[in-house]
Amino acid sequence: MSKSLSILIFLVMTAFFACFFAYPIWAALEAAFRGPDHKFTLEYISEVFLNELYREGLWNSLIIAVWTTLGSLAIALPLAVCYVRFAFPGRALLNSLVLMPMILPPFVGAIGIKAMLGQAGALNSLLINLGLMDAMHPTDWLGQQRMLGIIIMEVLHLYPIIYLNAAAALSNLDPALEEAAANLGCNAWSRFWRVTLPLIMPGVFAGGTIVFVWSFTEMGVPLLFDYDRVTAVQVFRSINDLSGNPFPYALVTVMLVFSTLFYLTSKLFFGNSSASGGGRATTGRETIKLPVWIGWACTAFFAGVTFLAVLPHLGVVLLSFSKDWYGTVIPHSLTLEHYHDALGHELTLSSIANSLKYSALAMLVALILGIGVAYVSVRTRIWGRQILDAMAMLPLAVPGIVMAFGYLAMTREGQPFHWLMLGEDPLLLLVIAYAVRRLPYVVRSAAAGFQQVSPTLEEAAQNLGARPEKALWRITLPLVAPNLVAGGLLAFSFAMLEVSDSMILAQQAAHFPITKAIYSLVLSLGSGPNLASALGVWAMIFLAVTILGAGVILGKKLGALFRG
Amino acid sequence: MVTITIQELTKRFGGSVVLSSVNLQIEAGELFFLLGPSGCGKTTLLRHIAGFYTPDEGKIWFDDEDVTRLPAHKRGTGMMFQSYALWPHLNVAQNVAFGLEERKRPRKEIEHRVAEALDQVKLDGLGSRKIQQLSGGQQQRVALARALVIRPKCLLLDEPLSNLDAKLRLEMRTEIRHICKQHGLTAIYVTHDRDEALSMADRMAIMEAGKLVQVGTPTEVYRNPATRMVAEFIGETNFVEGRTLRESSWAGFFDVETPFGTLRGRSNDSTWQPAPGQPVVLSIRPEAMTFANLTDSPNRFPGHIVDTTYLGPTVQYLLQVQNGPLMKVCEINPQEIRPPSQEETRAMAGMNDVVILRK
Repeated sequence: MSKSLSILIFLVMTAFFACFFAYPIWAALEAAFRGPDHKFTLEYISEVFLNELYREGLWNSLIIAVWTTLGSLAIALPLAVCYVRFAFPGRALLNSLVLMPMILPPFVGAIGIKAMLGQAGALNSLLINLGLMDAMHPTDWLGQQRMLGIIIMEVLHLYPIIYLNAAAALSNLDPALEEAAANLGCNAWSRFWRVTLPLIMPGVFAGGTIVFVWSFTEMGVPLLFDYDRVTAVQVFRSINDLSGNPFPYALVTVMLVFSTLFYLTSKLFFGNSSASGGGRATTGRETIKLPVWIGWACTAFFAGVTFLAVLPHLGVVLLSFSKDWYGTVIPHSLTLEHYHDALGHELTLSSIANSLKYSALAMLVALILGIGVAYVSVRTRIWGRQILDAMAMLPLAVPGIVMAFGYLAMTREGQPFHWLMLGEDPLLLLVIAYAVRRLPYVVRSAAAGFQQVSPTLEEAAQNLGARPEKALWRITLPLVAPNLVAGGLLAFSFAMLEVSDSMILAQQAAHFPITKAIYSLVLSLGSGPNLASALGVWAMIFLAVTILGAGVILGKKLGALFRG
Repeated sequence: MVTITIQELTKRFGGSVVLSSVNLQIEAGELFFLLGPSGCGKTTLLRHIAGFYTPDEGKIWFDDEDVTRLPAHKRGTGMMFQSYALWPHLNVAQNVAFGLEERKRPRKEIEHRVAEALDQVKLDGLGSRKIQQLSGGQQQRVALARALVIRPKCLLLDEPLSNLDAKLRLEMRTEIRHICKQHGLTAIYVTHDRDEALSMADRMAIMEAGKLVQVGTPTEVYRNPATRMVAEFIGETNFVEGRTLRESSWAGFFDVETPFGTLRGRSNDSTWQPAPGQPVVLSIRPEAMTFANLTDSPNRFPGHIVDTTYLGPTVQYLLQVQNGPLMKVCEINPQEIRPPSQEETRAMAGMNDVVILRK
């Protein structure tokens, strides 16, 4: 590719980032720091810390984030070690199954949890049937321990991110590094703590950072649990009186600062390549054959975690088929009515159409941007390519809710980007928001592809008379196509289930994407939750198919997409 | 310093046999080489000794201790890995100190011995460097120091020089041999580089397809290769096929009939005498061939030179023998370089340099 074209791509990307990533964040910050007299003020920010309600929200968000991260680590690390090191029955299948929760939206799963843990839910019915609980005084599990419920829900949703990172780091580790320790007298246990763990830390922390930021700013799950005492939900609740209210912006700013601080700290401690991986593997790693019963214990561990993680979604599926599910372990009678109704309901049909439209466009934008960034950063030597690459990864560190408020702020009346609103249609804004937030996945996926395809292949084509652009088109692009397809599918499916941007930017029912439609159905009376479940099941099927597709195409490299 | 005894060692990976009934004794203090083409099982054998593999059959002894089932971390061997396997999260001194820490040595002693080990490999003062800041040669020295500092029962080296440039490789050969001898270490060295083996080894084993083909000193293996494969692997050679005629008038030498005349040579094995009529292969090294007139040898190769290659210290000719094969002839820095020509040229070889191998 000619140098001028590379520079053109670089400039276009930079301009796009400036307008739709940096500027919205700036706009949100500005709204948080600018007083009514247009002067700089710290009043709003300090109010966030002084106001007891806001302070409690922040504190709760932090607690949820810390416990979610620790919980995910506690589940994912042993799983990853078992998978990479040991041979046990069903290993390959379980490795895929254990990733399933990632594609099951926790937001939808929460509906199932409520059906199962509610006062008249499945668990209480089971306990009453077993005679372990007094039918007159059922326990209100969710009422008492809503925060615990949220943490469990998020752990079960997010642990695959750490699992993928840790498993990738473990299998990339040169086995000779551990053998050298064994050779010097180090037993298996101390080998793990002294050599293996420090070496996979960068990978584990990269995953941990994503989990932390994700759970710190998660809005969907607490919303469905009716838990208002976290910052994200407080922000959402205040959206109605947005005009002139600076506090949502101030809250969002504080969230951004916390997330960024955490992201930078982990980069600082673990991001430097000094302790990463340790070079190419020189000997193949053999999986250790375990004694039969320990092998089966591994199998049970994997299966148990998967089952627990899928349980809420089983609840959703049951709910979507149930005529009535009240005070019994499983629904009394099943019906397909809700699926039928779901397809007839005005909200569901339009929301599916909307989501398809938004997500497809967002995927297209993300792909074009992602290929550009990846190509420039991997294949060219122009100045600033690393900055471009780093920029494209930043959306991982910036909570969706921050971006959403940024977009709101920059399209307020009188602002230069007001035209993006298209009246009241959030189409452009949502497409941009989805595309920017999922860009990291596409960039990593495409960059991995470009790194695997040697530039000499393209040079050989040029040597035989192909122009540089033609060589790229005929040689390199076909070879990286699987990565591009996989990255695109991921971007698409995550856009379909995006919560925070969708909740905040789509204000009118006619423009609701699926997630917001599910939320408003849950709130409505009658068969609303059942309809929401049916819609959720549709969404899950959709997502499962696309991600499994991406997994098949990308193979083991799926993990590489979730590294910060 | 231990004597390592390997008895009937057999290992299968999947269905394929990678080591097949290997028997070997390595004496205490010996610098022993495992040599062979890639895939011959030499690294697998080394990893069995280190304890990273458990054999399917057979035993491994360190002196009179059976270590066959002993896990790697209890064997007390010091290994240098081909990739060096230096831990990137620890600095140079921490890498070297690791084994001593595992042995719970007092802090003072560890510091002292680490400094001593780094000094010995000429890395004194670089203890606080990060691994990534070192050159390939320096990394190789850290790996050596790390293996030596624990005063291992035996030193295991897995192609330790394969990642270095040619000049460093030569330097390190001398140095590694010097260190081994200085400490009286039993050392096992895996390589596919015959020059490394010939120049450093006390004894060596040549392996092929999971079997030991020959065990002996460099001189024995070079001069009396057990098989055609060994003869070819350990150095350049010419093969001439023929049939034994009789024992010659010179005791210990045999006449062999070839398409271009009778050649006289010696058996590669003092316990074996080729019987009359037996098909054999003769191995004649290029440097044993000469254009000079050897009056006491009947081994003549009349022909003409078809190619001349100037290599600096030596000149190599390709000689088309009349009614015979193409043969390599090597001259050491000759006064006059012979150009290829149709003119008849005669090469000769001493009777001692014609080695008779079983076919």
